[in-house]
Amino acid sequence: MTDIPNDPWFGCLAPCEAHVPCGQGRHVVRWEAGAFRLPSHPDPEGELVLAALGGEKARCVEVAEAWGRHTGDLSVLAIGPRGRTDEIALSWDDVDAAAQASGRSPVPTGPPRAALMRLASPSMLTSARVQAQRQRMEQEMARTTQRRNDMLSLLALGYGFQVRLIGQVAEAHASPPDDQLAKVRPALVAAISARLAPVAEEWIGIDPDQVVVSLHRGPGWGSVELTGQGEQRRLLISLPAGWLGRVWAAGLALAGRHLVVAVQRAGWPDARVLALRAPGTEPVPLDVHASQESPAGGGLDVRPGARDAPHWEI
Amino acid sequence: MNREGAETYLRLLAEAMMRGSLASAQGPGGGRARVTAVGLALTAVGAVDIETAEDILADFDLAVNVRQLHGLASRGAAGTMPSGTMPPGTAVPGTVPPGIALPGTVPPGPAPPGIAPPGIGPSGIGPSGTVSAAAMARWTARIKSGRSPGPLTRVSRLAGSGPAGSSGSPEQDPDPAPTGPGTAGPGTAGPGTAGPGTADPGAAGPGTAGPGAAGPGTAGPGTAGRGAAGRGTADRFVPVGLCVPFHDEGLSGEMYLISFAQTGSGARFIVACGNRTLLPQYRMGLQYPDPVPLEHFTVTDDRGTRYDLALTPGSGPEWINEISVRPAPPAEVRWLDVAAPRGPAVRVDLDHKVTAAGGEPEVTEARLSPGEHLLIMLADRMLTVAPEAGPGWRRQLPVMSAGLMRAMTAGLGDVVAALEAADVLSPLSPVPARLAALCASLGIGGHGITAAPAHDLPERWLSLLAHYQRRKPDLAQVRDGYAAVAAALPELDGIRLALVGLDNTEGGSSLHVLATGLTTEGHSGPLGIDLDFPLSLWLRDSGGRWHAARAAGWHRVGGERALRLKLVPPLPRSTAWIEVLVGGRSAEVRTRLPLRWGYPT
Repeated sequence: MTDIPNDPWFGCLAPCEAHVPCGQGRHVVRWEAGAFRLPSHPDPEGELVLAALGGEKARCVEVAEAWGRHTGDLSVLAIGPRGRTDEIALSWDDVDAAAQASGRSPVPTGPPRAALMRLASPSMLTSARVQAQRQRMEQEMARTTQRRNDMLSLLALGYGFQVRLIGQVAEAHASPPDDQLAKVRPALVAAISARLAPVAEEWIGIDPDQVVVSLHRGPGWGSVELTGQGEQRRLLISLPAGWLGRVWAAGLALAGRHLVVAVQRAGWPDARVLALRAPGTEPVPLDVHASQESPAGGGLDVRPGARDAPHWEI
Repeated sequence: MNREGAETYLRLLAEAMMRGSLASAQGPGGGRARVTAVGLALTAVGAVDIETAEDILADFDLAVNVRQLHGLASRGAAGTMPSGTMPPGTAVPGTVPPGIALPGTVPPGPAPPGIAPPGIGPSGIGPSGTVSAAAMARWTARIKSGRSPGPLTRVSRLAGSGPAGSSGSPEQDPDPAPTGPGTAGPGTAGPGTAGPGTADPGAAGPGTAGPGAAGPGTAGPGTAGRGAAGRGTADRFVPVGLCVPFHDEGLSGEMYLISFAQTGSGARFIVACGNRTLLPQYRMGLQYPDPVPLEHFTVTDDRGTRYDLALTPGSGPEWINEISVRPAPPAEVRWLDVAAPRGPAVRVDLDHKVTAAGGEPEVTEARLSPGEHLLIMLADRMLTVAPEAGPGWRRQLPVMSAGLMRAMTAGLGDVVAALEAADVLSPLSPVPARLAALCASLGIGGHGITAAPAHDLPERWLSLLAHYQRRKPDLAQVRDGYAAVAAALPELDGIRLALVGLDNTEGGSSLHVLATGLTTEGHSGPLGIDLDFPLSLWLRDSGGRWHAARAAGWHRVGGERALRLKLVPPLPRSTAWIEVLVGGRSAEVRTRLPLRWGYPT
């Protein structure tokens, strides 16, 4: 069994920045050490108070709020990127267009269809019931719209922010209490499968559909085992949910043809990881070094894309 | 039940579809139909709650759509699309891009869930043709709201949209037919005022009236075990089969009393009406008479108490009509005389102690797992979908098999695997193999069921398959007619059905039932099966052929639902009796009933 240190999950992630259209210009938003920051807005809380009093809310602040609303949202895992080759390129114009489209009345303004079909005048009770249902429907639609617009804004921040949010969500659910485990485990298993399967294909050439993931709980890093042959071949992988944030989000999943299963000493740009040369073997510690082709920064439309993600080498 | 296994399967399937479509040329979203089918199946058996399944589908849709935009944006960068625009009509087939499609637009491609292709729509509850229209309206509303459509959607349920096109929903329920025994007004006509009419006891057909018409050998089981809405009186269902001719101010015709039903929601006759107009203004269409001048009818019981007749709200022109009898006759009443203007009274025997020739319904324990029951309902659906393609469907069957039905059954293998993952279907169950054999018999490939086709298909399936595969052309359209039949069936999975009539009209056959215990969630299951009518109902005619029944419309009457079940294929005119087989999870109920056909003009 290999002990895994309990460092902060983001230890292998470098800071990243993006530009957000805000007011008449573009402002920098920044992720650093697990926190979303607004360098151009020194007092976001004060701006929120002003917005509550009728002032216009800055977009940067809106994005920060959206980030905060979704750091525990498992949907982020289902929507966000599966890997470098799965880049979701969404512009702020796209986000604006979607918001405008949803700004139109989501609910028909005329009388409800049921009322048109009714033969006689409805009773007071029926009217109240219809009204209540209508209100619930509007509230549901408003929540849906906000959730969708939130998600599009967060995706528009770029790949670097997307993977960091995925890491943060995974970390938020990494150690659920036992009575909550059954609720979050399906989403976590699917999230790890989605991101590990293409990595496994690159690692040993296995069909991604033959990768079977389970959630590892307890001490140690987990297990990786190859069984069967031909169509019955299966790569059985058991990893903790934290693998998504600590390893995958950092771009560390595969290093030097090794499958990285844990981080032994976090750091940027140098770290020590536990990695497997092949299924069924014991992990070995590897010292890895990160390099980035074009660190995010500069220009009018800066967003950290997949090509900005670091490459780790032994 | 393994709910975690079920949800995990659904999520992993969505991931596999996403991964597969990203890698293939078809683009993302190609697997949505399969994900939807599995989501519907798992919610149908209660393995995944609707909200969770909706969220998974919504996330899948959003994930697909933002990726498609990415693909298009890449092409746009090459000059095919202006950068930063969100083009309408760029939807992934079968999906709606959240906030991308223009409000009111309908993306192209295969129909989304809830908008099934013609003939495979949510199982026909409601008048034909209105299902798709209503679903389309829901979908359009969802597009406006920026949320992708879904058959599982909370919004649609919150909106109170029951089975699309149905004539009943909680908001529409006028809650008619107040009942109360023994509150009859002062009666003036005694039993003696109504003559026996043209009674011919025991004879079938219209024009027969009088005591004894529902005598031994012609009446079905007339009682139900449960009291009428807790009032201490038993429900009663009486086959009638009497014709009441009427003539009133330029209008004459016949009201054919098919059956009498009395429950906690009131008393009513199930009737079919035929009339002919005599006045020129009626003939020229300048004025329209009431179908039946009910206000001029008199109804009197054996104690001289009089009753009013009124058309039950909700039963429309496409229905056999329901005429409520107010107040509801007390349990002691043995007969009612129904008299039309200027016509003789006919006597309706309400003595519910008569027994059917076929005896009491036979109940057999079934013990089906939820998964098996769902797959059987899917099989029923497959067997009844073909005629919905319209006239000449049998000739089109090979084409349908290649297209429509193949699309309909895509994902069946996933459904079976998901039900197994949810522990609601045993890997040893014979049903998947039978479903595979059914697909093979219908020429449907690509269903994905891994079990080898079985050789032991149920007799009723074989009967319908033989009907489809018969080479001789369809029989001539059966003559319109109405069969007096009434029977209360034992409760099955919490649902009580009472058969109250049968008709052959416009080339089709319908069985009419009153039901209690049905839900009105208004959502359909995979392949458009109706989850609000979770029973498998078949009829065997006196010639030995089987007919599948599927819900084709309903309206609410008090706490009950009056259902019209369409029979596939229609009953032949010569049918002298039927055996009704109702299958639920826990048991099967069989009852054999004689039919008394009437042909009102």
